[in-house]
Amino acid sequence: MKVLIVEDEKNLRKILADFLHREGYICETAADFHEAEAKLADYPYDILLLDLGLPGGSGMDLIPDIKESHPEAGIVIISAKNSLDDKISGLDLGADDYLTKPFPLPELNSRIKALLRRRQFGGMNELSFREIMLNTDSRSVSIHGIVVPFTPKEYDLLLYFMVNINRVLTKETIAEHLWEDNIDLADNFDFIYTHLNNIRRKIKSADGNDYIKTVYGLGYKFTDL
Amino acid sequence: MKLLTKINRNYLVLLIVALTALAAGGFLVLKAVISSEARENLLSRELLIRKQIIDRGTVPDFYPLVEVKRLDQPSDQTPVFKKVIIWDELENEPEPFLEYSSTITVNGQDYFIRLRQSVLETKDLALIVSVWLLVLLLLVFAASYGISRKMNRSLWQDFENNLKRIEQFDLIANRGILLSPSPIEEFDRLNRVLNTMSRRIAEDYHALKEFTENASHEIQTPLSIALLQLDEMLQLDLSEDLFIKIHSVIQALKRLSSLNQSLILLTKIENRQFVSSNSLSITAIIEQKIAEFAPLFDAKNLTIQLEQNAEFFYSIHESLAFILVSNLLSNATNHNIPQGIIKINIDASGFTISNTGNETFLTNETIFQRFIKGETGSNGLGLAIVKKICDTHNLDIRYEKTSLHCFHIQQKIKPQNTTGSAADHFAPAP
Repeated sequence: MKVLIVEDEKNLRKILADFLHREGYICETAADFHEAEAKLADYPYDILLLDLGLPGGSGMDLIPDIKESHPEAGIVIISAKNSLDDKISGLDLGADDYLTKPFPLPELNSRIKALLRRRQFGGMNELSFREIMLNTDSRSVSIHGIVVPFTPKEYDLLLYFMVNINRVLTKETIAEHLWEDNIDLADNFDFIYTHLNNIRRKIKSADGNDYIKTVYGLGYKFTDL
Repeated sequence: MKLLTKINRNYLVLLIVALTALAAGGFLVLKAVISSEARENLLSRELLIRKQIIDRGTVPDFYPLVEVKRLDQPSDQTPVFKKVIIWDELENEPEPFLEYSSTITVNGQDYFIRLRQSVLETKDLALIVSVWLLVLLLLVFAASYGISRKMNRSLWQDFENNLKRIEQFDLIANRGILLSPSPIEEFDRLNRVLNTMSRRIAEDYHALKEFTENASHEIQTPLSIALLQLDEMLQLDLSEDLFIKIHSVIQALKRLSSLNQSLILLTKIENRQFVSSNSLSITAIIEQKIAEFAPLFDAKNLTIQLEQNAEFFYSIHESLAFILVSNLLSNATNHNIPQGIIKINIDASGFTISNTGNETFLTNETIFQRFIKGETGSNGLGLAIVKKICDTHNLDIRYEKTSLHCFHIQQKIKPQNTTGSAADHFAPAP
């Protein structure tokens, strides 16, 4: 998978590139509008991460061209503007997703993987880790090949863990993922704990292993290490 | 009052004052002229009588105009004028006369002469003058009214046109004023001033708008970098102590970020950068938000009581509707007690969200102020944003402490379209 990161902020560009590289993507970066235009003209990309406020022009203006020259590419807008109007016009132009800065890397990862699943290949609708398998079309969970009923939120939470294996996810990151809207969550994350316990119980009752490790009471990690 | 009406009214007042003064003066002059004419007349008649007595030796007598009496003894009566009223049998009413009495001596014989001249009654004179005045007044006023009306059509036409354009001036829709030049110097000057002023206002507005957007961008970007780097650090094999410290830094930065976003949101609402859409079902939004909040309610074991008497529709930007409902529900959840209640009543003109909670001392005035916090970890801007949304959208919000904490949101009775709800005002933020 080839990703083009269009972002003018050098540090951010590097963090995103390093992360996506670790996740197994081939990354290219562009620091401004014209560099992005040039790179888009020369190479094919599967995914584009597009910042809107760029030197030389708005990332928004790149979208129609991308849709024409790279109709297969998925576009994720990463913007500092939390504006519904921008979101609507970006999606109208053909972007696939819109992330408001600051966003956690696991969130970006989850969005990119969801985008790839939606966009391509019939084989990508299954996601497995050891004995656990998720079918993203039917949104179902099976353990040792047997379907176990999960609520939508439990499924979402398990999916989030499974696209971010071996990564510490803080409670806040999980809450933000499950309620991406700007709910003023205050400091009560008991509901996550409840969901996690349900997931653990269901996996155990189907003879699965508990891969969800608690990290110092503040975060969780899905791992078999 | 229209300018023309005002001018005409002033003109009329001025005319009345001027013509009254003129009429009063005219009346006095006329009266003096008539009176002196009458005196002259009487004196010349005296001469005529004297002449007749000398020439013919007869004594004329035409009551009441001329009375002449032969006197047996000489009299030292000096000539005198006075006013008298005599009954006029012909007209059957009293008539004013100017009377002249004197004695004359003709051929050694003394005569007493009393001459009278009918004069115009004062009130008749006044009547004539005032009728004339009224006629004059009406004529002058009608003429000036007609002329100014006609002039208004031509002279004020440019002004009226430009006024219409100014009325359509809309900053949010980026609709500037372009006024057509006028051949009249004053209007042209006004147009130039307005053109410059509106351009400056639009520039300032857009600069401010850009600033708020850039401020968000500029602050969120370094925050993003810090947060991402810190999250990467959390992935390292850290001691518990270090993990907790980094986590708390992340929390602080996230709060800073959300505070920044909230303040920018407040500014954007204040600047009316959210253009109202067509009527939205607030009821549907509340239902959607209740479903989203369900896990949060469950975590605190809250009971939700939703009572719908009618569906509430309102014209508001969709984002703001979501934020409004979301912030109120967050507030009702965060300040609730375990096993508490959230009650939501919806009717056709508004809704009420009430919740159980601690006994707090907030009042209707203080509760909506910025950075007034309860005991939870919220940033204290949630209700300030709610209030700002209500204030800019013709909604009334009222906090009331009964056995529950109640927030009443009501459509104001008189709708004044402050933000412009028409679809043609829609302009996405650049």
